Amino acid sequence: MSYWYPENRPKRQFAAVFDINKCIACQTCTLACKTTWTSGKGQEYMLWNNVETKPYGFYPLAWDVKLLNMLGAQVWRGDEYSGRTIFEAAPAGERVVGWRPEDRDYAYPNVGEDDCAGRVDRGAIMQSPHWSWFFYLARICNHCTYPACLASCPRAATYKRQEDGIVLLDQGRCRGYRECTKACPYKKVFYNPMTGTSEKCIACFPKIEQGLQPQCFVNCIGKIRLAGWISTADKAQADNPIDYLVHIKKVALPLFPQFGLEPNVYYIPPVHAPAVFLRQMFGPRAEAAIRTYRAATEDLDLAGLLGLFGSTDRVVPHWARKDDWVLAADDNGKEILRVPLREPVYVREAFDAKYQVARVNCP
Amino acid sequence: MHRTAVCVLFAALLAAPAGCRKPVAAVYAPSVFVVPAAIPDDPLDEAWDAAPVHVATLLTQDMVEPRSMSLTTEKVRVCALTDGREIAFRLQWADGTNDDRAVPARFADACAVQLPAKVEPSLPAPQMGEPGRPVEIVYWNAAWQATVDGRGDTIRDLYPNASVDHYPFEARSLESGSPEQIEMAARYAPARALNNAMAGPRTTPVQDLTAEGPGTLSPRPAAGSTGRGRRTADGWAVVIRRKLPQGFSAQNETQVAFAVWEGGHQEVGARKMRTAWIPLAVQEKP
Repeated sequence: MSYWYPENRPKRQFAAVFDINKCIACQTCTLACKTTWTSGKGQEYMLWNNVETKPYGFYPLAWDVKLLNMLGAQVWRGDEYSGRTIFEAAPAGERVVGWRPEDRDYAYPNVGEDDCAGRVDRGAIMQSPHWSWFFYLARICNHCTYPACLASCPRAATYKRQEDGIVLLDQGRCRGYRECTKACPYKKVFYNPMTGTSEKCIACFPKIEQGLQPQCFVNCIGKIRLAGWISTADKAQADNPIDYLVHIKKVALPLFPQFGLEPNVYYIPPVHAPAVFLRQMFGPRAEAAIRTYRAATEDLDLAGLLGLFGSTDRVVPHWARKDDWVLAADDNGKEILRVPLREPVYVREAFDAKYQVARVNCP
Repeated sequence: MHRTAVCVLFAALLAAPAGCRKPVAAVYAPSVFVVPAAIPDDPLDEAWDAAPVHVATLLTQDMVEPRSMSLTTEKVRVCALTDGREIAFRLQWADGTNDDRAVPARFADACAVQLPAKVEPSLPAPQMGEPGRPVEIVYWNAAWQATVDGRGDTIRDLYPNASVDHYPFEARSLESGSPEQIEMAARYAPARALNNAMAGPRTTPVQDLTAEGPGTLSPRPAAGSTGRGRRTADGWAVVIRRKLPQGFSAQNETQVAFAVWEGGHQEVGARKMRTAWIPLAVQEKP
């Protein structure tokens, strides 16, 4: 695979796993980010975090299908991608193949929301994968190992931090050329017309530096997200939760791996969507990942680790399951918290004899 | 070379005086000749007619990525005046679209004048200079000109129908203009907080810059250049005015280069039309 610069992996790489199956598109993550970082002038249209409905939701409009079309056929041989990445497909005179969204492309962040693929006909029954389906895709900057925004910047205003792999855009150096807004395939760099510079998700680095998960993670109602650190596959550690999910269980997959950026947000694919769609979006391992995920009811380690999602505001570098408890530990091995493998179940009588009222099944 | 240039200029002037605003003459100056005269700020002032016109051929920027692969603007007409303290260039070029809004996928028309940082026989690379051999650039931009001309610098000036509920740094509890309010507003505009010249507030349509090769453009503070651009019937007329290069005289020539960006063709940064170095000489009186 080609890249504009030689390989230069950071000392540590910020990474995350998002469990799509748990997302309800409440947009709390979107608002958490919006109110924290993009309430300024010129940032009105920016959503560093967004949640879109697939297959018909996009922010900006058609961001993925437009690039997939430009990229042409994407061929996999087994688990290996043999087609062209966005770097290899770059036309003469360019570093990356890409397109730059217009104002109107950003104008409909809720387009396609809850629209399902296919009709729901009379007499339809629930099957899996569903005949008619949609799912929610929460997206932030992927803080890629091979960032296209960084490769495309002619004045090196974008950089990747050695200490955590977070990709940042130097607001003192940027001159608003918008090569990055064109090059980023995920369209997670935005031009601010008031400051004349481009801006992007910063993975809440002031929080990461304190060992805390970003705003969109800790505010997630569905507890779909876990932030941590990822190793390369050959150095995967079973006690590293991200390594375990990505490299060992292979239940979490990169978004559009064929683009060639090695994105560091990994997704547990939705169990109910058609395989052909998921293969295009997450690569050839999508069906195997779903099988593994479905088997979590029997896999106590995997089930236990999934229980750590949304259980702490701390970044979790290490984890372990001990019998019926799942433990999270910091870099020094000190316990952050422990959660039960299974939440206890309380059964209450439907009728409260003391108060002579019927209980209802809500808080 | 200087004597030759002056002779050729004379012949050109005798054959057909080449005033900037007059009908196109058949003969143009082979170099950029600077005429000693008072410098008007208005690019359409008749005083510019005293200066001979050099029609510079523009080339695609096809040296470094991202490259411009097709020629958009073919020529830029240049004339120059000096009052002994400053030198001013008037650039005119054809451009069918007035691109003066810089929003996510729209770019502003622009132009620039580049001179070597030192007046010496050996020249730095014409493409933005080279390490240890800087160039000085004055860059003009149509979006900044529109702001200076009174368009305003708010989101509603760019999007008249914009509706914004609330900016936290404009809450009623904060006194407008107070140190607390200014500090909070800066937090939501990091480029402005870092004094990035791109971020405004916009009081001039030009920037003074220096470079030592592609990708190295940086501010040249306190250089004090000024400029003004006006839309003409078929394009732009822009005056860029800067300090006379130190050491530049009738006996000690230098070179100049120009660049033009056609915003309507998404030209920005390295995506531009540019000239090679062009001799810059003082026109001596006959």
